[in-house]
Amino acid sequence: MTDTPRPDDNTLAAEYALGLLEGEELLAARGREASEPGFAAAVAWWQDRLAPMLDEISPATPRAEVWRRIEEALDSAAPSAEIIDLRNRMRRWQVFGTVSAAAAAAIAVFAFTFMTVPTTPQVQSQAEAPLVASVPIADTDLRLAVTYLPDRSELLVSASGLTADGVHDHELWLVPQDDTPLLSLGVVAPGEERRVTLEPAVAAKMADGAPLLLTREPLGGKPEGVDAGPVVAEGQLKKI
Amino acid sequence: MKPASAAAREKLKAAMARLASGDRGALEEIYRATSAKLFGICLRILEDEKEAEDALQDVYINLWRRADRYDPGRASPIAWLATFARNRAVDRLRSGKLRQASVGEEEAAPVADASPLAEDLLIDAEREARVHQCIEKLEDEPRSAIRSAFFEGRTYAELAESSGTPLGTMKSRIRRALARLKTCLENGE
Repeated sequence: MTDTPRPDDNTLAAEYALGLLEGEELLAARGREASEPGFAAAVAWWQDRLAPMLDEISPATPRAEVWRRIEEALDSAAPSAEIIDLRNRMRRWQVFGTVSAAAAAAIAVFAFTFMTVPTTPQVQSQAEAPLVASVPIADTDLRLAVTYLPDRSELLVSASGLTADGVHDHELWLVPQDDTPLLSLGVVAPGEERRVTLEPAVAAKMADGAPLLLTREPLGGKPEGVDAGPVVAEGQLKKI
Repeated sequence: MKPASAAAREKLKAAMARLASGDRGALEEIYRATSAKLFGICLRILEDEKEAEDALQDVYINLWRRADRYDPGRASPIAWLATFARNRAVDRLRSGKLRQASVGEEEAAPVADASPLAEDLLIDAEREARVHQCIEKLEDEPRSAIRSAFFEGRTYAELAESSGTPLGTMKSRIRRALARLKTCLENGE
């Protein structure tokens, strides 16, 4: 990092609107845009005034296939009964818990995640309760949304607000409650919702109350034989 | 404003309102009217046809899922959509290891033809927006840096590296230009 002084909010809004920021500065600006109406308005002011420059770009017709792909994606996203059931349970959780706006946003992300998962017509009488965790990121209002479906050993990690800085990756870890070593839940894919099936040995340790840690690692995740990088965020699995 | 453009804009506004109520036909109408403009933007930023197609798909799927994000009281729908597409394309540029992997500009696949059928949907039909004049008034170096950030998704670090300028110098130079740009933009209001 350099010694350049911090810019005032309006300059920061311009830098963010133009896309000059990267890494943690970008993450922080994104968090502020999501949580501070004043900052969001400054960003919008810049975006609206810069937008006419986009008229300089000549239009180009996409191939017909692109629209077909969009339609297919929307068709396959129709929620199934099982998912609706899950969303209802989440809604209950939302009602009972004391949830902040940010946590509510994270729940919206979960709901999205489920809507986009192509479902197999499996008949399940009573699904086991999912475990969820919302992991706040450093000084931002961003959260990593983690959902675990025990009956499928499936883990969903949504990092939709995150952006890759090209230098680091972030790795998610489970802290088993029996004092055994940390178990890697994989490298987080910034800006994406990732779905993985956990190994039985890891799945067995996914329990209500188990802590999760997020560490900063070199690209590709923690190298073999090296200590894990600094912990940048933590959360806890909770049964819905 | 040209009548054709004004009419197209009104139609688009109406379609955006229907979209928010879950009308799939509205999405198709918006796609027909705006995809050429938005695809042009994605192509310019990503410089790769395949990536630009994926970005475009992502833009409309997101639009469908979060139609409530558009505030009709704020920007014109085409300005909002163009900004949305530009930002998604920049995000994609960053998140992929695309930049290292992509072929050089001169080897890139030929860009699709500009469509003669694309509706004349301009953000600023009469080119009366202040930004055109205000950008021109900046000194050459910061102007070209700001344009590269806007059109190519270049960050401070990338701009500093490609021009062999220390990062701190690049930041101060652009910040001074942004302050000037802001004053100029405000004078038009």
